[in-house]
Amino acid sequence: MAFLSISNVAIKGMSACVPSCIEENKDVPLYTPEEAEKVIETTGVERKHIVTDSQTACDLCFRACEELLEKLSWERDSIDLICNVTQTSDYINHPNVFVLHEKLGLKNDCMSLDLYHGCPGWVVGLSTVVSLMSHGSIKRALLLDGDNISSLQYGQDREGRPLFGDCGTATALEYDESASPMYFQTGTNSKDGEALIRKKGGFRQPYTLEEYQQEIGMRSGELSTDGIEDLMDGMSVFSFGISTPPKSIKQLCEHFGLSLDKVDKLVLHQANKFMVQKIAKKLKVELDRVPFSLRDYGNTTSASIPLTIVSQCANEYSTRPMKTLACGFGTGLSWASVYFETSGVVCPEVVEI
Amino acid sequence: MELNEFVENFAEQFDDTDASEIKAETVFKELEEWSSLIALSVIAMVDEEYDVTIKGDDIRNSSTIEDLFNIVKSKA
Repeated sequence: MAFLSISNVAIKGMSACVPSCIEENKDVPLYTPEEAEKVIETTGVERKHIVTDSQTACDLCFRACEELLEKLSWERDSIDLICNVTQTSDYINHPNVFVLHEKLGLKNDCMSLDLYHGCPGWVVGLSTVVSLMSHGSIKRALLLDGDNISSLQYGQDREGRPLFGDCGTATALEYDESASPMYFQTGTNSKDGEALIRKKGGFRQPYTLEEYQQEIGMRSGELSTDGIEDLMDGMSVFSFGISTPPKSIKQLCEHFGLSLDKVDKLVLHQANKFMVQKIAKKLKVELDRVPFSLRDYGNTTSASIPLTIVSQCANEYSTRPMKTLACGFGTGLSWASVYFETSGVVCPEVVEI
Repeated sequence: MELNEFVENFAEQFDDTDASEIKAETVFKELEEWSSLIALSVIAMVDEEYDVTIKGDDIRNSSTIEDLFNIVKSKA
């Protein structure tokens, strides 16, 4: 069982940036007004921020990070490690982390790490970064995380289009021997991975010219997605989401002797409202301890946990000690749960660009 | 596990369809109100009431409610 306990690292700051362009779900032309109402009620998503042609997750992460460094008054030369988590890289060859390292003006004596991951990505990235830091030689690190996932959506996909929004986040971490340990539980169920997979367009299944034209047409919304196999199997993802994350969270609590009653916030990946509510109900955690960012931002893939903290709970996190249990789940299928304690996290307001 | 009780639990997921229209032999995907959202409610109901995880294929491969009942029963 993949349990980790990692000491000596504290979360010092969190920030998020979203595109200023908003798509309202009530205006999505795929539904009648009654259908739109039902979709909004079930998913909990009223609107989402989506990138315009010239923006990517890299821009969003960069802006979130600039904001955070300024508020923390951290010198750029003090950063020893930068990690980026995304599944929407700017380039085919050259991970985003190098683009970000350059744009942020970080020193050469700095480790760069890029993780290709989906919705559990923030927790997986956190476990990786804090593991490297716990040795003591890396004093400060930046975890940048997020996707421009809307770029991959199809205009006529009735399931996916209302759900996904774009966001980039930054998490600042510091070596701190007084910090409480962070606890992790992670797992993988790859045999059900087909439920959330996009096969076409990679090196195994490159597009033919015809398929490429069809892909572009579907993304722009001109072409229908009828008969396309690469769509999310929403039903299977849902059944995974309501069964596995609650088990992971219970296992984490049991293994490390934690009590869910003493947790200030249970921050769940913002898959959709129906799913998040079901998970909270299974864990018997009342909803006032379960923040939601779905209404205004949608499902922002791996950025959803830090975005939810920054957009919904900034005041609490910045002013008092907090005990947090978070769980990311999805792509893989895989999941990652984490428990961490903070005391005064710098949380600037969500930035829009 | 009772078929009648399963059919009742299944029928509870619908808002506008009369429970009398929903029987063991009903081809549920032909019901006017059937939608992907109701499918999620059914998956959640099976998880809650029977502690069984059904997948998208289980719903896709079932024609009648009894077909789905048999899948749930085999996994219980």
